[in-house]
Amino acid sequence: MPKNISEKKFSKESKYVLDEEIAKIVNISMALEMPLLLKGEPGTGKTMLAHAIAENLEMPLIVLNVKSSMKLIEALYQYDTLTRLNDSRFGDSNRDVSNIEEYIKMGKIGQAFTAENRTVLLIDEIDKADTDFQDDMLDVLDQMEFDIIETDKTVSANNRPVIIITSNSKKDLSDPFLGRCNFHHIAFPDPKMMRKIINVHFSDISSDLAENAIEAFYNVRNVESLEKKPATRELINWIRALQTDPDFKTKKLAKGNIPYLGVLLKKSQDYAQVQNHINRRRLF
Amino acid sequence: MFINFFYKLKEVGIPVSPTSFLIFHKALAKGLINSLDDFYTSSRSILIKNERYFDLFDQVFAYHFEGVEIPEYDAAEIDETAKALLEQWLKDPADIARALGIDESVLSKLTPDELIEYFKERLKEQTERHDGGNKWIGTKGTSPVGHSGTHPGGMRVGGVSQNKSAVKVAMERRYKDYSQEGPLTQAMMGEALKKLKNLIPAGAKDIIDIDETIYQTMKNAGEIEIIFKRGLKDRLKVILAIDNGGWSMDPYISVVQSLFNHSRSRFKELKTYFFHNTIYDSLWVDPGRHKVPVSIDKFASKDPETRLIIVGDASMAPYELMSRDGSIYLTHRSGIPSIERLKSLSEIFPHCVWLNPVPIYMWHYTHTIVKISKIFPMFELSLDGLEKAVNYLKAK
Repeated sequence: MPKNISEKKFSKESKYVLDEEIAKIVNISMALEMPLLLKGEPGTGKTMLAHAIAENLEMPLIVLNVKSSMKLIEALYQYDTLTRLNDSRFGDSNRDVSNIEEYIKMGKIGQAFTAENRTVLLIDEIDKADTDFQDDMLDVLDQMEFDIIETDKTVSANNRPVIIITSNSKKDLSDPFLGRCNFHHIAFPDPKMMRKIINVHFSDISSDLAENAIEAFYNVRNVESLEKKPATRELINWIRALQTDPDFKTKKLAKGNIPYLGVLLKKSQDYAQVQNHINRRRLF
Repeated sequence: MFINFFYKLKEVGIPVSPTSFLIFHKALAKGLINSLDDFYTSSRSILIKNERYFDLFDQVFAYHFEGVEIPEYDAAEIDETAKALLEQWLKDPADIARALGIDESVLSKLTPDELIEYFKERLKEQTERHDGGNKWIGTKGTSPVGHSGTHPGGMRVGGVSQNKSAVKVAMERRYKDYSQEGPLTQAMMGEALKKLKNLIPAGAKDIIDIDETIYQTMKNAGEIEIIFKRGLKDRLKVILAIDNGGWSMDPYISVVQSLFNHSRSRFKELKTYFFHNTIYDSLWVDPGRHKVPVSIDKFASKDPETRLIIVGDASMAPYELMSRDGSIYLTHRSGIPSIERLKSLSEIFPHCVWLNPVPIYMWHYTHTIVKISKIFPMFELSLDGLEKAVNYLKAK
């Protein structure tokens, strides 16, 4: 691996507000060559972090979106039998039908391994897949190589990718899996941090609006027994909505009025609950 | 290095593996850790694999590097130790009196309750830590009294901290909220229910049937004939019957209902009905149980493959279940005892379970639970029980 790349460290970013803790953990994981497992509520920026890392380290980002039915081999490579069958039948392509390798397509992990430069490999929502997938995948990532059965060849990584794995903590991951990862849990940002995040996304926002919006947002989050609490993503969209409305006045928020509640809450039950809450508060 | 720290983590019940400890040492050896802050972040990220333990980790960290007492144990621990002292006292009063350096006769005038209070006071007074010592109270000591348990820090209460930021951070205990394991969250239950699948081909024909393709191609003398088939989709019918009468079920109704509604899209059909205590002639579509009754007889015509899930505490007066006119509502007079209705339901739907929020060890105290569990396979309404129930329902 070229020296200048291995010495790169992760520090600052453009659209992602990073606390020092995460930066440290990312650097440690890179130095130890271990995958970093990120957990946290939806909307706390797990995926964004991987993008920020890629951008910051100037490495290409390869995203593997895990699906529940996914098999490991799909993430590694695909043997396109259908095209080969088709070619053998019609023979109107330039591919050499007798050469199986022409029909092997790299999956996301395969791409990360065969890429010329070091890449950031984001394995998104690993918890969707079943346990076998997770364990097998970690084997591959540990060894940094896998076999292509059809051609009996071994693909080994040119560069060890920086591996970021995210999980929505739907279910617990297996112990051997966890043993091979570094772990970090991204807590929901506190209002101060949120202010920074908002400032990054809206450079021209008035502090009045930002403060009131954030306060209202945390009030909504604190309403009891919400099925899906609004997250950062919702707040950003909401502020965008507020900004585009010419009739909107920041005073409204201060009064406990929350326009465009539908942007924050996606479940009708939650919507009714918060609406109720607001009405009740106005009475007193 | 830091082996004590590692073992302390283990001692308080955090699953830490030696491998990860070695990895942590690798990080140390590489010179990646240069300050206490670094130590905090990196040791946590390497050693701790679940946010549930972050809070405990914070406590151990603060304890180990600053001597801040691990607080959770205090009250309980003093009680425990005081109790141990009392027991010892009852066995051999002279010994204790000698150890405490007071006259036996003074103590012997106290009632057991007063004794305990007295011991507790003495325990709180003690401000120095001493494990393994031979003074009068401590852990694992040679003194005749004291608690043999695992309290890691001895009896010191509170601690003095210097301004080191990592420790401060650890002492803030930011992860307190994550440390409690909720009994049943929707996400967890949703995960358990996910296993309840009944895959049936549905939708567009967009998946290649390899076997059939090969067969047809061969039949075609090598002319390729590609055969498509439908993908598998989850198409299961579920009937959910919830006991929503009485306060005993209140905490569970919303979670059960919203949970099934959550996974509604995955089922072909999800019907929710309500009943109170047990089922007589009909189930109710409306939660108020008076507007829309559905006669049990109508269920006979439903698909027997439908999964019937009943949620209820199955606790009631025996006559409600056994008597011919058992319903507690005067207007419901059926002539058929409820238990017969339940039996016929379980015959209509061979794939049925009863989920009971009552803890399993309490079941045999209630007559009607025993009766009903003979008709329906009964499972505890916990993550574990739910998983078992789903496994049972999955079986064809």
